[in-house]
Amino acid sequence: MYKSARLRVGETVVGLFTLGIGMFLAIDTWRTPPSAAVAVVGPGMFPTLIAIGMGIVGLQLLWEGYLHRFAEEDIPDLDWRAVGIVAAALASQIFLLEPLGWIICGTVVFTVAAMAFGSRRHVLNVVFGLLLTSVTYLVFDYGLDLDLPTGSLIEDVIAPTE
Amino acid sequence: MDTFAALMHGFAVAITPYNLMWSLIGVTLGTAIGVLPGIGPALTVALLLPVTYGLEPTSAFIMFAGIYYGAMYGGSTTSILLNTPGESASIVTALDGHAMARKGRGAQALATAAIGSFVAGTIATIALTFVAPLMVKLALLFGPAEYFALMVLALTTVTAVLGASLSRGLASLLFGLALGLVGIDLQTGQARFSLGIPELLDGIDVVIVAVGLFAVGETLFTVSRHRFETEELYDLKGSKWMSKEDWSRSWKPWLRGTLLGFPIGALPAGGSEIPTFLSYLTEKRLSKNPEEFGHGAIEAVAGPEAANNASAAGVLAPLLALGLPTSATAAIMLAAFQQYGLQPGPLLFDNNPELVWGLIASLYIGNVMLLMLNLPLAGVWVKLLAIPRPWLFSGILLFATMGAYTLNNNIVDVAILWIIGIIGFGMRVFNVPVAPCIVGLILGPLAEQQFRRALTISQGDATIFVTHPISLALLLVAALLVLLPTFFRWKSLRDERAQASLDATHSTKAENV
Repeated sequence: MYKSARLRVGETVVGLFTLGIGMFLAIDTWRTPPSAAVAVVGPGMFPTLIAIGMGIVGLQLLWEGYLHRFAEEDIPDLDWRAVGIVAAALASQIFLLEPLGWIICGTVVFTVAAMAFGSRRHVLNVVFGLLLTSVTYLVFDYGLDLDLPTGSLIEDVIAPTE
Repeated sequence: MDTFAALMHGFAVAITPYNLMWSLIGVTLGTAIGVLPGIGPALTVALLLPVTYGLEPTSAFIMFAGIYYGAMYGGSTTSILLNTPGESASIVTALDGHAMARKGRGAQALATAAIGSFVAGTIATIALTFVAPLMVKLALLFGPAEYFALMVLALTTVTAVLGASLSRGLASLLFGLALGLVGIDLQTGQARFSLGIPELLDGIDVVIVAVGLFAVGETLFTVSRHRFETEELYDLKGSKWMSKEDWSRSWKPWLRGTLLGFPIGALPAGGSEIPTFLSYLTEKRLSKNPEEFGHGAIEAVAGPEAANNASAAGVLAPLLALGLPTSATAAIMLAAFQQYGLQPGPLLFDNNPELVWGLIASLYIGNVMLLMLNLPLAGVWVKLLAIPRPWLFSGILLFATMGAYTLNNNIVDVAILWIIGIIGFGMRVFNVPVAPCIVGLILGPLAEQQFRRALTISQGDATIFVTHPISLALLLVAALLVLLPTFFRWKSLRDERAQASLDATHSTKAENV
C-alpha cells in the first residue's frame, strides 16, 4: 500500500475539527459552575460523554489519516474562487438583509451566485432575480402571512403596508 | 376493526375539498421541487416547511404528507434522466435508469418507477395503517430506559450503515449531538454553549441545519465542481408506454421491492439506502440475464424504486408511533411536528386522532394523485430539469435564506445557516455523511431527556439500562452493528496483508530462479 510522510488531508481536517469541538465542549462544561437545581443527572453529564466521544473519534481519524487506510482519492479538484464568491454573497446577507429588505438583498445574492456559476447574462439575471424575490415577497408576506424583511426602497412601493 | 374505523374517520377528514386541495398542492410542489437536480426529499421537505406555517395542523400535515411522497416521486425522475442522483437512495435507480434513458427508453424507466412507486406506496401505506397501532401498543411497554436504548440503536444504525468510513459517520453524528446541546437545559434551566447569544438559548433549529447542510453546502460543492463536470440530460422520445414485456418484467420486482422496503424502513435501520441496494442485488440474482444489469435492465429500476417508496412509508411508522426519526427526511418531519407543539408517539394517537389518521388517509389519496400527475405529465417535469444551472442554484440559495429567516424572523438564523453551510461544504468535500448529523441533532436532546429520566427513576443506578431486558437487547444490537463491520474490516485487512506477504515471498523466489 502506498504510504507517504504526509498526512491525508481529509482525515486530518475532519479529525482536527472533531477534536476542536470536543475540546470546546469539555472546557465549557468544566468551567460552568455546578447547577443549583437538584437533579440526579446534571446538565454536564451528556456534554461530557459527547466530548469524550469526539476526542476518541478525532484521534481515530488522525490515526487513519496517518496510516492512509483508505485507498479512495483524497479530495477532488475544487474551484475555490467560485466557492468564495458564493460564500461571500451569502455572508453579505447577514448584514444587508434587514437594512435593505428581501427584494434588493435577494436580487444581489441571486445575481452574484449566477455569475459564480458561469452565467454572463447579468442584466437578465438581475431582472429574473427581481421577479423571483418580488413574487416570493408577495406570496409569503401576503398570501401566507410570513414576514420577509421589508426594505424602504421597493417593498413599500409595490405593496404598501396597510 | 378499531383501526379500520379510525382509518375511515381519517378519510372523512382528508377527503373534504379543503384538505384535498392542500394534498394536491403538496404533491405538486413536492414533485416539482423534488425533480430539481441537487434537491433530494429531505431538502424538499425542509424548503417547503415555511409554506405550511399559515395552516392549521391537520391541513398542514396532509399537505406535508403530499410533499413527502411527491419528493420521492420527483427524485426518481432526476436520477433516471440526469447522471447526478439527488440523494443516496436514488444511486441504485440511477445506475440502470440512466442507462435506459441513454438507449431512448427513458419514458419506460419513468413509467416503471412511477407505477412501481404507486404499487409499493399503496401496499406500504396499508401496512403502515396496521403496523403503526401495533407499534403504539409496543410503545406503551417502553419506559425511559427502553426509549433511550431505542434511540441509541437508531443513532447507531443511521451512522453505521452509511458512508465508507465509520469514523466519519461517528464524527458527523457527534457533531449533530453537540449542536443539539446548545440552548437552555430543560431540566435545570441552565444555559449550555449559547456563547452569550440570546437567540441561541432556544437551541439550533434542525430545519436550519438541514437546509444549511443540504442546500447551502450542496450548492457550494456544486459551484466548486461546476467547471470540472458535465451533465448528460436525456429527453423523452419514442413510445411513452410500457410494452407487455416491460410489464411482465416489472411486476415481480415491484412486489419484492415493497417486501424489502417496508420492514427495513419501519425498523430503526436507517432509511432507504439498504432496501434499495438489497432489492438491486436480489433482482440481479433472480434475473435470467444478469449481464443486462448496469446496462439498462428494467428490473433494476422497478425493484429499487418500489423499495425506496415502500421504505418511505415504513419510516413513518416509528416516526408517528414512537416519535423516532430514522432518516434525515423523517428528522425534518419530526421538527415540523415540534413546530406545532406536537410530539409524535402514543399520546398523539390518543389526543389528535383526526390529525394522525387524516395524515395516513391522505397518503393513500396522495399516491393516487401522484400516479395521475406523473404518468401523463412526465414531459412537464422533464422540462424542469432543463432550468439553467445558474438560475437553479441561485434560486435554491434564495429559498434557503427565506426558509431560515422566516423560521423565527431573526437574522441570527441566517448567520447560523451560513456557518452550517460552510461546514456542509466541508463535509461534502471530505466525504462525511450528512444524515447522522441531522438525526443526531433532533434525537440527541430527546435521548438525553430519556437518559436522565431513566436515571432519576433508578436513583442514579446506571445498571437500569442493562437489567431491563428490552433495553439490554436493543443496546446489544446497537453494539453489534458497530463492532461487526469493524471486525470484518480488520479481518479482511489481515487476510490482505497475509496474501501480500505471500505474494512477496513468491516473487522473490521467482527472481532467484
